[in-house]
Amino acid sequence: MKLFLTLVAIFSVATTCAAEIQLQNPSINTKAPNFVAVNSYGQTIQLSDLRGSPVILEWTNHECPYVARHYDENNMQDVQKIARAAGIIWLSVISSTPGDQGHVSADKANALTDSRGASPAHVILDESGEVGMLYGAKTTPHMYMIDANGILRYKGAIDDIGRGMQFFNASFKDAKNYVSSQLRELVANQSLAINTTIAYGCSVKYNYD
Amino acid sequence: MKNIFLACSLFLSILAASNPVETGHAKASLITNLQDSQQESFYIGVRLEMQEGWHTYWENPGDSGSPFDATWEVAQGVIVENVEWPTPITIPYPPLMTFGYEGDVVFPFKVFRAIDSDLSSITVDFNFLICADICIPEKASLTLDLSSAIPNFLVDEAIKNLPTDFVQTQSVVEGDNLKITFNSSQPINSAYFFPRQDNLFAYAPTQQLISLGDNAYEIAIPVLSNEVDSFSGILSINGEGFQIKEKFKSSSSMSLWQAILFALIGGLILNLMPCVFPVISLKVLSFVSMGGDDNRKIRNHALSFVGGVMSTFLSIATALIIIRSSGSMIGWGYQLQSPVVVGILTLIMLGIGLILLTNINFAAGLTTLGSSVQSRNDYSGSFFTGVLAVVVASPCTAPFMGAAIGYALLQPSFATLPIFLALGLGFAGPYLLLALKPDWISALPKPGAWMETLKQFFAFPMIATALWLMWVFMVQTSGDALILLLLLGLILGIAIWMIATFKGRWKWIGMLATILAAAQIFNNLPENTNGLVADSSAEQWSLAIESDLQAQDRAYLINFTAAWCITCQTNEKTAFARDKVKEYLSDQNITYVKADWTNRNEEIAIGLARYERTGIPLYIFWKPGMLESKILPAVLTEDLLIKSMQ
Repeated sequence: MKLFLTLVAIFSVATTCAAEIQLQNPSINTKAPNFVAVNSYGQTIQLSDLRGSPVILEWTNHECPYVARHYDENNMQDVQKIARAAGIIWLSVISSTPGDQGHVSADKANALTDSRGASPAHVILDESGEVGMLYGAKTTPHMYMIDANGILRYKGAIDDIGRGMQFFNASFKDAKNYVSSQLRELVANQSLAINTTIAYGCSVKYNYD
Repeated sequence: MKNIFLACSLFLSILAASNPVETGHAKASLITNLQDSQQESFYIGVRLEMQEGWHTYWENPGDSGSPFDATWEVAQGVIVENVEWPTPITIPYPPLMTFGYEGDVVFPFKVFRAIDSDLSSITVDFNFLICADICIPEKASLTLDLSSAIPNFLVDEAIKNLPTDFVQTQSVVEGDNLKITFNSSQPINSAYFFPRQDNLFAYAPTQQLISLGDNAYEIAIPVLSNEVDSFSGILSINGEGFQIKEKFKSSSSMSLWQAILFALIGGLILNLMPCVFPVISLKVLSFVSMGGDDNRKIRNHALSFVGGVMSTFLSIATALIIIRSSGSMIGWGYQLQSPVVVGILTLIMLGIGLILLTNINFAAGLTTLGSSVQSRNDYSGSFFTGVLAVVVASPCTAPFMGAAIGYALLQPSFATLPIFLALGLGFAGPYLLLALKPDWISALPKPGAWMETLKQFFAFPMIATALWLMWVFMVQTSGDALILLLLLGLILGIAIWMIATFKGRWKWIGMLATILAAAQIFNNLPENTNGLVADSSAEQWSLAIESDLQAQDRAYLINFTAAWCITCQTNEKTAFARDKVKEYLSDQNITYVKADWTNRNEEIAIGLARYERTGIPLYIFWKPGMLESKILPAVLTEDLLIKSMQ
């Protein structure tokens, strides 16, 4: 029996190691996974250093039609401004692998921020996809909200108009924005009424070859 | 990219009302199978011929993407139904997974029209997301003049290939997976379940397919939460689609706290179950002999016993979690499905019986079974008794225990440990109390010579238990194998006699010889079990039997049992075998079904899991008029059984 159990244990460990790359799925209302990454100015950003302020993560890809629409109509920028005013640190994360859609150089990233009038605190260049996989980011846009104590409070879509093709016809005015409508609770370190939704958009262009 | 998108939309709006339309990365067209102007219902299809490397999405696009959006413009008296989705394929972009279509695909829509309505034009605004590595929303405004349209065989072909309902499935959520079992007469090259709901399952991990034999297969889909109560989707077997829609029993939701409470009560009652009683009695006896001893010693003995019980339950829980993570269906009493385990337990019972009779002095452990004279400060004996009590308890299921263990094993691992610990705590509860209040021991009878006699008498329940296990062993194997087991018993007897009689070197030489002889025989013990014991009075159980009988409006009573399950066997004698019960069953036209789990059987394990059980006994009753079948009590008498069927 002992031998059998040992074998079972070895087997389970072995299969875990051999498993394909998989997205993690961080749990809501638990500690958000820490990460260390580089921003578009070459600075190292560590999530745990930002403790004390709420943090919003936005997965982005400027060439994705979904993201493009959010920026073309100033929808994303507006949410960024409201968040900034509330003392929230906004991180735009680009997980596109080099050569794929949405992958940009640091300079290009800064130029995009300028030309679009965006106001993220940092643009995170995650070309290895490590941060994306740690958070289970599937789409652009894909939003995560973390409170000042480092607790993950929200993961999912930015609003409720994205599933299905109606996104390209619907107006942002009619949308319920899950992020901007719940900033007050986030700042108060409270759990949110809506904490998990299905993100919509283009797939994150991870390195899958 | 934005510019291309805008350019496309602009371009398309100019080209409105044409057929076909080049949308950028696909050619879209409207086709129909309408044959003549008298047809009241027919199909119209949106055909999408996508460029190589591009794809569009199913109803549930998977981790990203979007299904298309179709807006119809039709004349009065014409209704276009929702699309009937063709069977999708997996389009993996690790670590993401998407579901959709590549190449040339036709989306059929059923159309109804009033017979007096004119056959006029039908127009659709078709918005879809088309992706390769990148995604582009494209659209086509398509018009088809039904009065002049030529029937296209591609529509009929698309309808013929739509997913069908012709597959019998059984589903259960077990741990972190939804397991769907189904039959397929053809060999399976590929199987994949496409879930329709978009927040219940993880898409990227591989769906494990295992063959259960007899054309039965099981596919495991990782769930995101264990609160899946219903789901639907398409099971694709070798590319052929089958619709699946399941709703689980609503009565399921037992809370963790309730399960823990049940485990505590169940553990406490377990002390009184026939398989544990002899061992427990011996332990009680040893406490009796301690009356008048100092409290510290009593407390230490009680705590050692509790420690033995708790650590054994902990080991069992850990082992079950590990075995489960390897994907096996497991349950309480599971180990007794192996004749080797039954054989070893038989010898342990027999050995204890002989030791009690011969009154010999074993170095450690066993002596403290009721004996007070030797090794008074040896707490390992009490610990070992605790271990032994749990080991012999394994064939028993006390009331409340089945539900609690069923919950524990079907929930994620974090819920398993607390429930097993509660079970242990309940089981060891009385001794824990004794440890807290050693004074209470004085309430027990005074020790005396009667104890020695009683101790010897307890040899007989132990030997009786051994006899029962021998019967289980014989049912599992054969008469020949039983003789081998009896021979082992004989050798064990000789060994015990030698230990009791000889001294020094001869004792060890004798021991060695008996161990060698035992090993020789043990090697020949069969590992595999043989067939089942047929019971002519009962119908054979199968996974589909409940739905079959319900469909025929026939009342039924299902008895999940096994030779090694002593609670089941007791119920057989006190309830099922009684004439009154048999008469009632035949008078009321109740079909009696027996599921014999003496030997390993995945199907029965799945059947039990439907009732959130992993162990037996389990009794299920249904009669016409009942919405759901009900679970009868685990301990039955003839009156109770009949009453619960009324």
